[in-house]
Amino acid sequence: MRLTLRCRVTLLSGLGLLLVTGVLAFTTWTLVSGSLLAQREAGATREAEAHARLAGGSPTSSGLAELLAGPDSSILVVGPAGVVTAGRAVEPSTLPPRLLHHPPGSARITVDGLPVLAVARPLAGGVYVELSALRQLDGTLAVLRAALVAGTAGSALLGAALVSQAAKRALKPLAELGFAAGRIADGDLHARLPRQDDPDLAVLAARINSAAEALERRALRDARFVSDVSHELRSPLTTMVNSAAVLRRRCHRLPGAAGTALELLTSEVDRFARMVADLLEISRADQVDDPPCRVALDALVRNVVATRTPVALDLEPAVVLGDRRRLDRVLTNLLDNAERHAGGAVLVSVRPRGSSVRLAVEDAGPGVPEPLREEIFERFTRGRNGDDPGSGLGLALVREHVRRLGGRVWVEDRSPCGSRFVVELVLRSSDG
Amino acid sequence: MCVRVLLVEDDERIRQALSLALSDEGFTVDEASSGEEGVRRSAEEPFDVVLVDLTLPGIGGLEVVRTLRTRGDLPIIVVTARTDPGDVIAGLESGADDYVTKPLLANVLAARVRALLRRRGPNREAVRIGELEIRPQEGLVHRAGERVHLTRTEFRLLLELAGAGGRIVTREQLLRKVWGYDYFGDTRLLDVHMRRLRRKVEADPDDPSLLLTVRGAGYRIGS
Repeated sequence: MRLTLRCRVTLLSGLGLLLVTGVLAFTTWTLVSGSLLAQREAGATREAEAHARLAGGSPTSSGLAELLAGPDSSILVVGPAGVVTAGRAVEPSTLPPRLLHHPPGSARITVDGLPVLAVARPLAGGVYVELSALRQLDGTLAVLRAALVAGTAGSALLGAALVSQAAKRALKPLAELGFAAGRIADGDLHARLPRQDDPDLAVLAARINSAAEALERRALRDARFVSDVSHELRSPLTTMVNSAAVLRRRCHRLPGAAGTALELLTSEVDRFARMVADLLEISRADQVDDPPCRVALDALVRNVVATRTPVALDLEPAVVLGDRRRLDRVLTNLLDNAERHAGGAVLVSVRPRGSSVRLAVEDAGPGVPEPLREEIFERFTRGRNGDDPGSGLGLALVREHVRRLGGRVWVEDRSPCGSRFVVELVLRSSDG
Repeated sequence: MCVRVLLVEDDERIRQALSLALSDEGFTVDEASSGEEGVRRSAEEPFDVVLVDLTLPGIGGLEVVRTLRTRGDLPIIVVTARTDPGDVIAGLESGADDYVTKPLLANVLAARVRALLRRRGPNREAVRIGELEIRPQEGLVHRAGERVHLTRTEFRLLLELAGAGGRIVTREQLLRKVWGYDYFGDTRLLDVHMRRLRRKVEADPDDPSLLLTVRGAGYRIGS
């Protein structure tokens, strides 16, 4: 996965800072530790020279002991007569041969796990070696090292954090643009991108806004067209459906082909009227609602079902926020759909589920095959049986209303047979 | 009983078709092709209910409703091709008892008419609520001894609430009992009538003490 721009900028700047401060810290370390060691070495050398002179030609162990600087120090005199030592015991073999054979010289070595500075001076017929502990200096250097490492890491982190903040601020207009563009894509045609101060972004925002305006104008024009057409159809339809009703009452008086034709005519007129009513509803579906109110979903279901063919109910208390008319239409259309395609609903349930509530209408019909489950919510998709009397808009309206209610709708299999249409809405409370 | 209906509609074809279909439902239908004619004829003859199209040439449907309402409590149903909330509410505010949208079916219309004309229910004792006195038998309402003029629909709405004796009556129950609607998600009809009723019986309609709204549930009468 590719990292985001902000991540990459932060990471790069952090690494860069780490490199620069690392080099600086390393240089500081080298210089400071070198000079501290050199100082210490010079001091130790001077001391050893003085001690070597004081030790004289044939020193004794007790004589040397008086010269010792501290408990961790040792003095060795390697002469022709053997080795005389004082202080901490040190095996001459552990000392670097260079010091013993070619004095004068000095070296940093470790004896028994302790860092020491060994200074060798030539003595008449032998070598004088003094070992002095470097523990204190090592402690100082350790603190310095820790401070430098911490400083390096800290400055890299701080720098990265600052850059990250700066990048966030710099990218904020882009995030706003993205958010508004997303709202437009989700169908909120009133959404516009915020005005931008940055000249580069201003052009982009203006272009996207003018595209959104064009889209909104076009959507409005389309909706108005559908609405106008449907309105114009209302008057002739009123005449037609009522004339059809008058004719239907007298259908039996027209036997044979004329009677059949009349029956066809009247039933198609009814279907036509339903279609226009649904078209009008769908063209209105985008209009602004009354302010949403609290609706007890279980009570609404009971009310709607009470006026229809009885169906089993499984209702738990659930309150949602929304337009009562939309909820009413959603359930009515789902029940109509079950009646039309599956011989009627067998169960209507309302069940809260966490922060949402599911309204389900189940039927024991033939079910909806997998590939059609999205398609049936499209406009003018009808069942496969040829005598479908629906307008082909019922489920499209359901989806439209559910979308406006801020929920979603889908269809799934029901065992052992049939399908379950589920509407999921945001739950306000489940205390009835 | 034969119900006489006056149909005020300018579209001749719709008028004819509705007349035929309403006659099939057992109504006697008289037709008026303009608002003026509708107003004149309803003054001359006794009708049981008037159906008014909102989009009429000359004096418009709203004006017709308003004029008829000033004359009395004759049940009025508005017929409209527009379903914009504004039109519907304007029609109801002018004094209509109910509304139907085109394309309307005569049998639906007939059911609505019958619901509006239904008898005032069983004889009941007079009810007193605060300053309000309701006499169901005579169909009279007095507030502090003074007569309040209510339309039949308003009267029945008040009676349903009073009959519940302070219990909550849901919107659905009121729509079913007063307007004969099976169940109808649109409750603007009820909202407008409740507003009109409050204006007539409440001392302060903006702060009702008799007809109380129970949020999310319905209405109840205050004691």
